[in-house]
Amino acid sequence: MTSKLTLTKRRTFLTATAAIAGAQFTGPFIIKARGETPVKIGFIDPITGSLSALAVSEVEGAKWTVAEMNKKGGILGRQVELLVEDSANDTGTGVQKAHKLIERDKVDMIMGDVNSGIAYAIMGVTAEKKVFHIVPGGHTDPITGKDCKWNVFRTCNTTAMDAAAVTNELVKKFGKKWFFITPDYAYGKTLQENFVKNLKKAGGTFEGDMLPISNADFSATLIKAKAYKPNVLLNNMGGSAQLNCMKQFVQFGMAKEMALGGALYELETLRSVPKEALTGWWVFEWWWNQPNVPAVKTFVDSISPAIGNKKPTARHWMAYVSLMAAKLAAEKAKSLEAVKMAHALSDMELPPEVSLSPNKVKYRGGDHQLMSDIFVGEVTQPGPGGPDDLFKVESVVKGEDAAGPAEETGCKISWPA
Amino acid sequence: MLQLVLFNLTNGLIVGTFYVLMALGLSLIINLSNVVNFAHGNFLAIGGYMAFVLTPYIGFWGALLVSPFLTAILGFIIEKVLIRHVYTRNHIYSLLLTFGLGFILQDVCRYIWGPSPLPLNIPESMSAAVTPDLFFITWYRVFMVVVVIVAVAGLFALLRYTRVGMRIRAGTLDLETVSALGVNVPALRSLNFAVGSFLAGLAGVLAAGQLGLNPNMGDDLIMPSFIAIIVGGVGSLTGTLLGGLLIGVAAALTTVFYPSASEAVIYVIMALVLLIRPRGLLGEEGMLS
Repeated sequence: MTSKLTLTKRRTFLTATAAIAGAQFTGPFIIKARGETPVKIGFIDPITGSLSALAVSEVEGAKWTVAEMNKKGGILGRQVELLVEDSANDTGTGVQKAHKLIERDKVDMIMGDVNSGIAYAIMGVTAEKKVFHIVPGGHTDPITGKDCKWNVFRTCNTTAMDAAAVTNELVKKFGKKWFFITPDYAYGKTLQENFVKNLKKAGGTFEGDMLPISNADFSATLIKAKAYKPNVLLNNMGGSAQLNCMKQFVQFGMAKEMALGGALYELETLRSVPKEALTGWWVFEWWWNQPNVPAVKTFVDSISPAIGNKKPTARHWMAYVSLMAAKLAAEKAKSLEAVKMAHALSDMELPPEVSLSPNKVKYRGGDHQLMSDIFVGEVTQPGPGGPDDLFKVESVVKGEDAAGPAEETGCKISWPA
Repeated sequence: MLQLVLFNLTNGLIVGTFYVLMALGLSLIINLSNVVNFAHGNFLAIGGYMAFVLTPYIGFWGALLVSPFLTAILGFIIEKVLIRHVYTRNHIYSLLLTFGLGFILQDVCRYIWGPSPLPLNIPESMSAAVTPDLFFITWYRVFMVVVVIVAVAGLFALLRYTRVGMRIRAGTLDLETVSALGVNVPALRSLNFAVGSFLAGLAGVLAAGQLGLNPNMGDDLIMPSFIAIIVGGVGSLTGTLLGGLLIGVAAALTTVFYPSASEAVIYVIMALVLLIRPRGLLGEEGMLS
């Protein structure tokens, strides 16, 4: 009796464990718009999963932008309908949602995903289906590098740009012996490769660990880092993993022995960092406090009430720029055809009220990468600007200076006949 | 290198004790009710978020005491309202029910507290390292281990020395006979589910103090619990204890030599155990057998 019962339970339990992977195939969230033939934009992001905070900001930014766009006549005089899908931070689900948006919902263009691996996979679908696609916030380099496509543009920086922008600052201030803590997926790998390339150029040495993306406990790797005695600990993790790594770094007293830095930091994560752990040198891809750029203040004042009176983050900006760029491309091309839009957006300089940046910004024709400004600086205790005033910009690096020539990215765009 | 290995061995045991706490609650529910509670990680998150809400009013220590009880009450209610209806049905019903419940609880957390990570403030003195040499052992981590030891000892004492505990153990072996002897099985199952939820809530508060809060925290922490149970042996709480410690140590030691595999190694251990000893390490002669 006992063994039979145990066997049944074990089988049930094993079946259950095998079934843990799940996908959400619910209908998309739709902003309804007036007009019989709206322009449909599919927006895929990991609204659930470890990157959800970033994804939610992008979706907030997209909804606000579409609402504002519709107030001003939409795109080509047609209202815009935003169809938001959750990729659940899973590549298979993301690809499935891209197929659904293109084949069933007949969207005119696709935006997404925050997760580099998913963005990369979706790119394969949009290229095959010849659908105009902007990646607002997935950083891995091949998207606008060796695997670039004629129909795909990217708004956020490449990892090469972020790494190049901050490396010199860290070497100059702290030294050339580094320890990396990096997430083991597309974004992390290309980011660390770029850091290593720049560090080696400066004559530096390094060690490091590649850890699972959702790693929660960093004590084991921090033990190794402490034994290595580096000048700088590079925390390349993202989201809550980055935050936990930072907290444990401070708890273990390591802040007294080495500097902390990294490529990309996000305001969504920074808001959750305990005061004692607010430290380190990082890159922000956009920052809400740019006193010398009037358009930024207008944008911040307009969007804040729609997002809980918080300051907009780089993720809100990425969604805004991506959607506004698509609108500009359609209007320049006078068409929603992907090829015409892609030609129109290549090398198009964005107006200041769209770029919201101090320098001239464009999607470079050679690789379709946005050459946006990069904000390098130090995380600080809350400043006079309020609870979101947590970053002091030390330098603004021009996108083209950090990216290097398009030819060096390995991108060769092949246009359809 | 030896020092690095010893440090990580110690660290792995600390992390393992936490897996034990999570897995024991899950194991308890599986053993008596034959329900694999996929929402267990979400009960953990609810416990953490309750502590977040309570801390400003009753402090961390108060929240540590109250939140697990509130989670247990929530578990008790959910068992009464939802779970009890699937006990007599095919297992797939309980799997689907708890799987869906997990998503609902996660979205409730996201709706109320937002998707961004939130910190649970612990007393400042707990954040400091015990000694400069053992810098990775903070007072909070020591405290976590002590709480887990007390909780596990309390659970084992409850099961071995109290009437309710004996009924739970007997029910695990032969529920029909226990019922025929006049034991109120529905009440026993509800109580058992509440105890499992209590342990999830306690794990949630402890995890939140260490890692902060986010709506997905349960998802990130639940898989090691499942694996601890499989490795230790379904039906054996002692096995779950052993399984949790084993995977904690394995993950920490793997980080020394091949960090990318620190997560994969626990699945490899599970696969090996299933191949060599399918009932798990102590699956036949555990405490409940």
